[in-house]
Amino acid sequence: MQSSERAKPPVGIIFDSDLGNSIDDVLALAMLYGLDGKGEARVVSISLTTSSLKTAAFCDAVANFYAGGPALRRGLPIGLAADGRISGESPMVTVPLAKTDANGKPVYAHSIHKLTDTAEVAPLIRNAFTAQHDQNAIVILAGPATNLAKVLDLPGAKEIIARKVRFLCMMGGAFPDGAPEFNVKSDITAARKVLAEWPTPIVASGYEVGEALLYPGASIEKDFNWTPNHPIADAYRAYKKMPYDAPTWDATAVLYAVRPDAGYFKLSEPGTITVLDDGRTRFTPSREGRHRYLILDPAQKERILSDYVALASAKPVPRVPRFLQQQQQQQQQRQADPPKPPASQPPGTTK
Amino acid sequence: MITRKALPRRTILRGLGTAIALPVLDAMTPALASSQLPGKTPIRMAFVYVPNGIDMRHWNPDYEGKLQELPRILKPLEPFKNDITLLGNLTHNNGRALLDGPGDHGRCCASYLTGVQPRKTMVDIKAGISCDQIVANKIGHLTRFASLEVGLEDARQAGDCDSGYSCAYTNNLAWRSETQPLPPILDPRALFERLFGSGPVLSPEARARQTRFRRSILDFVSGDTKKLQSDLGPTDRRKLDEYLSSIREIERQLEKAENDNAQIDPGMEKPYGVPADFAEHFRLMTDMITVAFQADLTRVVTFLVTREGTSRPYREIGIPDGHHPLTHHKNDPEMMEKVAQINCYHMEQFAKWIGKLKAIEEGDSNILNNSMIVYGAGLADGNRHTHEDLPTLIAGRGGNYIRPGRRIVYRKETPMSNLFLSMMDCMGVHVEHFGDASGRLDGLTLS
Repeated sequence: MQSSERAKPPVGIIFDSDLGNSIDDVLALAMLYGLDGKGEARVVSISLTTSSLKTAAFCDAVANFYAGGPALRRGLPIGLAADGRISGESPMVTVPLAKTDANGKPVYAHSIHKLTDTAEVAPLIRNAFTAQHDQNAIVILAGPATNLAKVLDLPGAKEIIARKVRFLCMMGGAFPDGAPEFNVKSDITAARKVLAEWPTPIVASGYEVGEALLYPGASIEKDFNWTPNHPIADAYRAYKKMPYDAPTWDATAVLYAVRPDAGYFKLSEPGTITVLDDGRTRFTPSREGRHRYLILDPAQKERILSDYVALASAKPVPRVPRFLQQQQQQQQQRQADPPKPPASQPPGTTK
Repeated sequence: MITRKALPRRTILRGLGTAIALPVLDAMTPALASSQLPGKTPIRMAFVYVPNGIDMRHWNPDYEGKLQELPRILKPLEPFKNDITLLGNLTHNNGRALLDGPGDHGRCCASYLTGVQPRKTMVDIKAGISCDQIVANKIGHLTRFASLEVGLEDARQAGDCDSGYSCAYTNNLAWRSETQPLPPILDPRALFERLFGSGPVLSPEARARQTRFRRSILDFVSGDTKKLQSDLGPTDRRKLDEYLSSIREIERQLEKAENDNAQIDPGMEKPYGVPADFAEHFRLMTDMITVAFQADLTRVVTFLVTREGTSRPYREIGIPDGHHPLTHHKNDPEMMEKVAQINCYHMEQFAKWIGKLKAIEEGDSNILNNSMIVYGAGLADGNRHTHEDLPTLIAGRGGNYIRPGRRIVYRKETPMSNLFLSMMDCMGVHVEHFGDASGRLDGLTLS
């Protein structure tokens, strides 16, 4: 039941990626938390098509970092495609995880050590949808469509998606007729299924868009230096020999998904995206088509890069979860007023 | 070679207003032991639900795989370590708020066996058909009772029991349809009369009058009993004696409870036959479930130990505080200890029942082996109201379906409904979808 009087919270973001392969996923994640801190969005689900536990542990550590510590962490666990075809384990995740302080303790705390510390992706994403107001969720696909195809197979999932999700923004393909792109080519069956069956509009950010927008590597030493330990900066440094500028394929999807009306990109006319046997994508315009793709607007390039930096390097804005707020209040009250034996009371009166 | 005529499985000892079904006897399967006949041994499923979550610090072991030393709350099950399966990380997403605000107690109980999000209301209740009733609908015709719903705490069905959730949500486990919960039987006498009698349930006063002149139901069927005994071999005679003795023992417990109650307070509000002592009540009800399983009167049971969100005190173990307020302990060590003691107390009663089920032979096995008894709660942490990693164990093997003696930890967000789909499979009831299930539960079965 939804209360019509209650104002909707910021849009809930379901982020599914193949983090670990290239640094743009890490930048995209950082931007998402930056948008979350600004109150423009809420990160409600993080899942991976990669299968390495280390990638999940890295995402967990990043979530803790932006939450202000594990104790303040809110939301669902990290989803991992245990049977994923892509490992994702690379220095950009292993180096930050191995970083220790003067006492030999890991700098970035996480709680993922075995597979059962991670979540089954399909129910995780479905469950995240169920907790959102109608039309107040956006899905960002920043990897192969494997996980989303599995979500579609859950009973009743399409109805839930249609009700809860505004649109799917996927980084994938090349438009209007480029070469096979990695995310689509990695799981053609899943890409076809999602493009054919996903019940909301889909906006694709093709390879050519992120390829033309390079994240300025100089920003890492300049804008992230407010703390000696920043998991995003450490990942960036570990990915390649510094200094380097990085394509921002997945970051384009994040920017458009959360700020679709900001005019960063032009949109194609509506139509239908299909996937050829070799993984190339083809776009067929049609009035009733539910697909569009992003078109780079050269006039927006500087603005986009500037906003990338501002969002990716934004400081965490910790929020104390409600149950902790209550506990803190109760503790303060206890200190002020010595405890009395609890009286019997019905459950509804304690909340 | 079959050398003598088999005794029908549905043989009943009859007398005035009395019908006593029999346990499996060798004479019913003369050529082969019953367990050797494929598909002949009944498999039972039961769900034992405890309220207000469990102190998970004393529930979850720090290991997976073969069960070793059990944590504090599970200690009473130590003798049955090879008969239980501990399941970790099962989640009931539909018990979570999902935009419906406060009311976790109402939601967690209503979604527990239905797997759906209940409508937040005090009037036009709506949940879903529970998995026990799906099974009862399919196989209920094979037994006298399609299912039995049992509880230990007086439970009203109307009004607000949790932040706008009807009491129908907190006070029932089984749902026949999405709008019709099945209230549990609380009064042991009512359950006894349902199992063995045919008349209406009497008022407390009428029952008191009758009790003065009461004879054992075994007296009414003595003619049939003698005739049957003469046809049985020594092993079956012993089995029959043990079975009838267990019924007589239940009668004695009932009479004692009724006498005690009459002396304590003849005007007491709770059902006349309900023992004042929690453990006695638990034993009486589970003894009757045992007989019901033994005689194949039903194969499906739900047992709401106390209603969800209950504030029942446990003076029996020196805890005068209400259970629910204690669970909101704000990390106060004294309150947390009391919650753990209540959790242990519940488990002690459960373990005694499991011991009884294991002690009753059935073919070349026992009743526990041929059952799946789920013990669990709809909340994990009763303080924070968490709906993930719900405390869940299964006692028994479901015939030869489950490989017990292990702790299996699933991946996070694995739906609890997956377990129920697997259990329905074991009961021979194959359902495509249930609740929010994402599939069957891996690793549970022998195959």
